[in-house]
Order: sequence, then C-alpha cells, then structure tokens
Amino acid sequence: MDSAVRSAYVRIGREDFDVQSEYLALRDQGEHQSKSGAIVTFTGLVRDAEPDRIVATLELQHYPGMTERVLRDIAAAATERWSLNTVRIIHRTGRLLPTDQIVFVGVACTHRAAAFQGCEYIMDCLKTQAPFWKKITTPEGGEHWADFKVNDAEAARRWLSGRSSR
Amino acid sequence: MINVLFFGCLQDAAGADRIQSDFQPTPADLIASLATEKPALAEALRQPQVMVAIDQTMAGLDSPLTDGCEVAFLPPVTGG
Repeated sequence: MDSAVRSAYVRIGREDFDVQSEYLALRDQGEHQSKSGAIVTFTGLVRDAEPDRIVATLELQHYPGMTERVLRDIAAAATERWSLNTVRIIHRTGRLLPTDQIVFVGVACTHRAAAFQGCEYIMDCLKTQAPFWKKITTPEGGEHWADFKVNDAEAARRWLSGRSSR
Repeated sequence: MINVLFFGCLQDAAGADRIQSDFQPTPADLIASLATEKPALAEALRQPQVMVAIDQTMAGLDSPLTDGCEVAFLPPVTGG
C-alpha cells in the first residue's frame, strides 16, 4: 500500500523543538519529498490565561506507549485521507511556562488544500483523542486539571460528517 | 492480579497514579470492588465521559479482563 511507505515521525518528551529544523525535515527527508509542493506547520503555545484564571505553569501528563500509538494512528488516517507524503508530530510533556512551545504538527504533500486540511485534522484529533492531560498552576499556587473543551469536540466531529478532501 | 492506572483528575480521586487489584472479570466489576473502600473514586470512574483502556487499547466497562492485564481509566483528554 502506497501510504505504508510514507513516513510519520512522532515524538513525545520534555525537550523543546526547533520549528525551522522541523520544516527542513519535512522538506528534505523521505523518498516522496520531490513530489511535495506544499508544507503546512502548526505550533501550539502555552497561553498565560485560561478563560477565568491566570496560568503560571502547566504540567503535561501522558500515557506512555498508548499516546504514541494514538498519534501514529491519527497520522496514518490523515496520510491515507489526504495522500500526505510526510507527517511530523511533536508533543511536549512535563512543566511548561506561558509562551513555551507545547505541540508541533507539520505535513508535506502535493497541493496546499490537502496540506491545510491534513494538518488541521491531525490537530483536531490530537486535541480530542490523544491521551494528554494538563494540570494548571495559578500564580497563587492553586492547582487544578484543565477542563475538556466542548468546541474541541465539535471541531473534531466535523471531520466525521463526510466533508471530503479536495 | 490487575494493574490499575489513573490519569489526570482521576489520580486525585484515587490518591495514587496506580494500584494493584485482585482479579476482576471486567472493568465494571473492578469499579464495584473499589466502591466499598473508595466510594468517591468509584463514582468518579463511573462518569460517562471516563474512558477505559485495557493493555493500552480502548475498551468498554464490560470488556473481559485477563490476569496480569493493565487497566487504565482516562478522563477527557486536554492536550495540545
């Protein structure tokens, strides 16, 4: 199967990432790269405020093993649906501060429409399916677990409603 | 023996990130076995939005458990 030879890179850990290095990897690595005419990347950052409170730090927890597998499954589904040539997903764990990078998704494929949609699909699925949990610490030292957002679920659901790739 | 893992807010309810339990046939039976000692935890685990994974694969409350398996209770995810 063609998609089986296409590559997905998934990394979860405490280390930060460099967007330029990730972009270059999307552009230059993999046997399909000469076919890619579009690269779309997304970087998620830690905000300094939730809707109702100030955020001092975030602590990111995951389920080692299962989280990696869920991300690989999401990447495989996106690769299949939009004929992506390369996918790179990085998600950080541990303690993070406002403005820290938390997540990176990058895709390379033939045309831009599929690249935009594939990248957005991966992020929507990551937000709703990948086993990560955020604990928020406020400047006063209070701690609580972040709430699941309903609009994240709605964003992910619209990909199920038969909206097709172009 | 069953290895039971808790994530996110369920760790607060459990007071631990993992425990060991005697064998139970299903996750539902496992929750029931915890209810006597930890009723608040059992109630948290029964919330409909809590998902169950058996050996890192999504499963249901009535899915069969095997001796030595790993059961994880996952509250709604909040990554990204």
